[in-house]
Amino acid sequence: LNLSAQDIPLANGEQYTVGEITVTGNTGYNEQTVIAFTGLRKGEKIYIPGDRISQVINKLWDLGLFSDINLYYTISEGNVANLELEIQEVPELNEVTISGNKKKKHKEKFIKKNDLDPGTKVTENLIATTRNNIEEFYSSEGYLNADVDIRTIPVQDTLEGSTKQLVDLDIDINVGEKVKISAINIEGNEVFSDGKVRRQMSTKRKNFLRFWKRSKFIEEDYEEDKQEIIKEYKSEGYRDARIISDSIIKKDEENIAINLKVEEGDKYYFGDISFLGNSVYTDKQLKQVLKIKKGDTYNGTLLEQRIADQTKPDADDLTNLYQNNGYLFSQINAVETRVYNDTIDFEIRIREGKVAYFDEVVVKGNDKTNDHVIYRNLRTRPGERYSKRDVVRTVRELGQLGFFDAQKLAPEFKNVNPNDGTLDLEYNVIESGASQIELQGGYGGGGFVGTLGLSFNNFSLKGIFDKDAYHPLPMGDGQTLSLRAQAANFYQTYSLSFSEPWLGGKEPIRLTTSFSHTVQYFYDAVNRDANRDRRFLITGGSVGLAKRLTIPDDYFTVSSAVSYQHYSLKNYDIGLFNFPDGHANNFAITLGLTRNNQFTNPIYPKGGSEFSITAKFTPPYSLWNGVDYGNLENNPAYQTNGQPDPAKIDQKRFDWLEYYKIKFKGDWYNSIVGDLVLRTNVEYGFLGAYNNERGIPPFERFYLGGDGLGGYSLDGRETIRLRGYPNQSLTPIDRDPTSGATRNDGATIYNKYSLELRYPITLNRSASIYGLAFAEGGASYDGFRDFNPFQLNRSAGFGVRIFMPAFGLLGIDFGYGFDPIPGTSSGESSGWRPHFIIGQQF
Amino acid sequence: CSPYQKVLKNEEIKPKYEMAVKLYEEGLETGKNNRFKKTLQLLEQILPQYRGTPQGEKISFIYADSYYQLEDYFDAGYQFERFTKAYPTSEKAGEAAFKSAKSYYYVSPRYSLDQTETYKGIEKLQDYITRYPDGENVAEANTLLSELREKLEKKAFEIARQYYHIEDYKASIAAMDNFIESYPGSKYIESAYFHKLDAAYLLAINSYQYLVEERLETASEYYEDYEKYYAEGEFSTKASEISADINQRLKNF
Repeated sequence: LNLSAQDIPLANGEQYTVGEITVTGNTGYNEQTVIAFTGLRKGEKIYIPGDRISQVINKLWDLGLFSDINLYYTISEGNVANLELEIQEVPELNEVTISGNKKKKHKEKFIKKNDLDPGTKVTENLIATTRNNIEEFYSSEGYLNADVDIRTIPVQDTLEGSTKQLVDLDIDINVGEKVKISAINIEGNEVFSDGKVRRQMSTKRKNFLRFWKRSKFIEEDYEEDKQEIIKEYKSEGYRDARIISDSIIKKDEENIAINLKVEEGDKYYFGDISFLGNSVYTDKQLKQVLKIKKGDTYNGTLLEQRIADQTKPDADDLTNLYQNNGYLFSQINAVETRVYNDTIDFEIRIREGKVAYFDEVVVKGNDKTNDHVIYRNLRTRPGERYSKRDVVRTVRELGQLGFFDAQKLAPEFKNVNPNDGTLDLEYNVIESGASQIELQGGYGGGGFVGTLGLSFNNFSLKGIFDKDAYHPLPMGDGQTLSLRAQAANFYQTYSLSFSEPWLGGKEPIRLTTSFSHTVQYFYDAVNRDANRDRRFLITGGSVGLAKRLTIPDDYFTVSSAVSYQHYSLKNYDIGLFNFPDGHANNFAITLGLTRNNQFTNPIYPKGGSEFSITAKFTPPYSLWNGVDYGNLENNPAYQTNGQPDPAKIDQKRFDWLEYYKIKFKGDWYNSIVGDLVLRTNVEYGFLGAYNNERGIPPFERFYLGGDGLGGYSLDGRETIRLRGYPNQSLTPIDRDPTSGATRNDGATIYNKYSLELRYPITLNRSASIYGLAFAEGGASYDGFRDFNPFQLNRSAGFGVRIFMPAFGLLGIDFGYGFDPIPGTSSGESSGWRPHFIIGQQF
Repeated sequence: CSPYQKVLKNEEIKPKYEMAVKLYEEGLETGKNNRFKKTLQLLEQILPQYRGTPQGEKISFIYADSYYQLEDYFDAGYQFERFTKAYPTSEKAGEAAFKSAKSYYYVSPRYSLDQTETYKGIEKLQDYITRYPDGENVAEANTLLSELREKLEKKAFEIARQYYHIEDYKASIAAMDNFIESYPGSKYIESAYFHKLDAAYLLAINSYQYLVEERLETASEYYEDYEKYYAEGEFSTKASEISADINQRLKNF
């Protein structure tokens, strides 16, 4: 009796005792090894056929080592079954040779893509998919005639004693000629011109004027092109338009021609549009959303879009009207009810279904971030009405947290139950590294400069006393902790900041605190060393709160902060004051209002805008302190030897700084085509004094020009980027009327306008890269007298940005400044300037 | 060159096997981690050759257990799982099943993170208890199992309570309801009933006037639910106070 085990029906199994077990067939494995692996033992009782036998065979198949497995048995006396296991081993790959292809890059790609590594089991399937993959690759490059031949050549394993089956793969590629399209002929079109029809197609003719355009023929694209042509006809009323015939004619090896014959049919108009089945919304409400009237040119594409726009998930269409208000199960179909002359009546049939409510809402995949940080950001919560808009917005906002891979956030509906009107929702997140480390050493400013910066963006303050929370640092509460220390021979600066986005966990009130301390020593040019007896200290801190508003809409944030800095000078003239020994205090309150609805990716926003207006002000001390600042020079207390002493006067004026500062900033992001985004930016700033006799302090001023990187500054200055000009060069230059020396105190007014086109190269989790081109202009002034919003320093240029989670943002821009740099007399334009951008988002 | 290095570089597999077994046993006696690390290095070289041989069973177990002893529970869980699948009839199968489950227990993160490993640990522990009801580790398995279950309970309860904390009372009621349904035996059940009542009460009194009465009545029902099971409960004083206020307010309608 010889039967393959798989052939016998399982039901009538009989019990046997296992006798001899033998292994036959083509295998390099030791017989005992195979038998031991099956687990079958001589003398074991088994059923034939039976579970045990199928298990053994399945176990062997699962190894993936055999191309064929058969179990035979012969019955001898006393119900003893002698088993014979016949196995055919799959040969292993030894070497791959690829011929007929010149590019090494492609060879490596083919090997990698098809996993053609030595030791791979060479199955028929592997050969077939490899051949298809390569042919597909060439056809997508325009080589329609590419032909791939794969042969297997058995080889002897050179290792002694090995009985492995080895084969070489010989892949022979005949690339053939690249096929180009010499002509696209269109027939039957009267309403549309040939050009208009061709414009709908992504398949293009060969044209020496447009040498950069591809003119290769790709089957898939061509099929899509035909649909596009019909779609365009439909959108202009030609409902019956169709392509009667199309043919591809081979001119020679390299050229083909495409002949298309269209039938345009008549132009139609919309007739009556009625609604059926709507109970939640009235016909009038639905018509308002539909925005199509009787008598409009028939447009099938538009009608589809007004019912359900597949290209925009948040479109204002009929489906979303229902989907955003709980009607998950609603279905909307348009049906032509009557066609007469050139008019079509429509009936829009609506099945509303039950209102759906969320039941369980869960988040999965958060292996660093604590639940409460995520759940508080969900706009879809248990017991709430289903709304597609809320789901979309939640995904967007979770992406903006910066803790997760925004590109891979996926909401998933589960247990959708139309009868009960419930559904579960699962958000799948993938954590991405949110911490940044900055470690720099360099030579600059007369000595070694070392910087250590740490920024933890998903920190957990309460975890710092829990030793189990350190892997490697307490994470997951959504807090930010940044530490930074910079030390050089003649200065040191330390700063620390912490922020908690939901103070108290009840509402999104962001608490920000920071502290910084700077010591600057006098640089002694003679000894080329720091003179530590002469120094300048700045110590300060700030506490701020920001809260998201719900009125007028919930993109608004209001913020407030108090800040304090103490400046102390010891025998150190920094040019800001007329005194080398003394102090100044800067206590200010900042209030801000921001509206931000940028989406989706914080590194590369594709839409939305951000506006902010901030006011920073100090108390108006001069209102009540009774000091006559205009007359200090005549006061003997501020004189030395009967002459006004500028040091004493300045010490009085800048004892407690007094000013107010107002800034406005607007950013718009508009998606132009696909991923191409235009950023439009407008900025204004104004610094003023309450008391003109006391004057505007030399602090807190605006310095326009260059890369806009803050860097190290003593005087709380604001650096404003304007590319194409040297750093901080676009500031009004004062000339001392007596000495003629120039003095650069920074501006008290500035304005800036900027246009930037961005295009992403990759938006990967590990690295986002985009290129940009910009045109911008700005100017700064000493006061309102000089202010002229149209007299700008203009520039244009291009650049690239790379964002990597571990390093933050890096970039380089090349800008050409069209106008001369203020303070230079040559009148030549500023010219090309490179700018390096580090760690700045915009 | 130490004897270990010699064996490691040697082509022959038998000395590796013998030394690996010796190092593993030394490791168990002395508790020294480097013994297990060396064992793993040796076994990685010879594991494929021994797969399917009579010694393969022993090697696979030692391999998995070395990870376990090194507290590398990610690998230990997986390797023990493979062992139990490959050698279901082994006398070590029970121990392996338990250690596999316990590895998932160790890997399971704090309640506020994704609980995929916790679910897996629960499944493995239950599996072990069903398959080896008289096994020597059943008592411990039960303890671990309830600990993992409690973690899931805490997770669901804390999420529901967060909705309460951020004053989304509707979501909190729905989430507490789901919690009560999913974890009827939990130690947080009383608290869940109370929070549901409190949330419904706070929702009612902060509603538009025309909704207040209906919502107070719902809250009143929730009070009865609470009172039915926890007349002497931890929150019963607070619950009675709320109920009294509800009744007072309802009189005005």
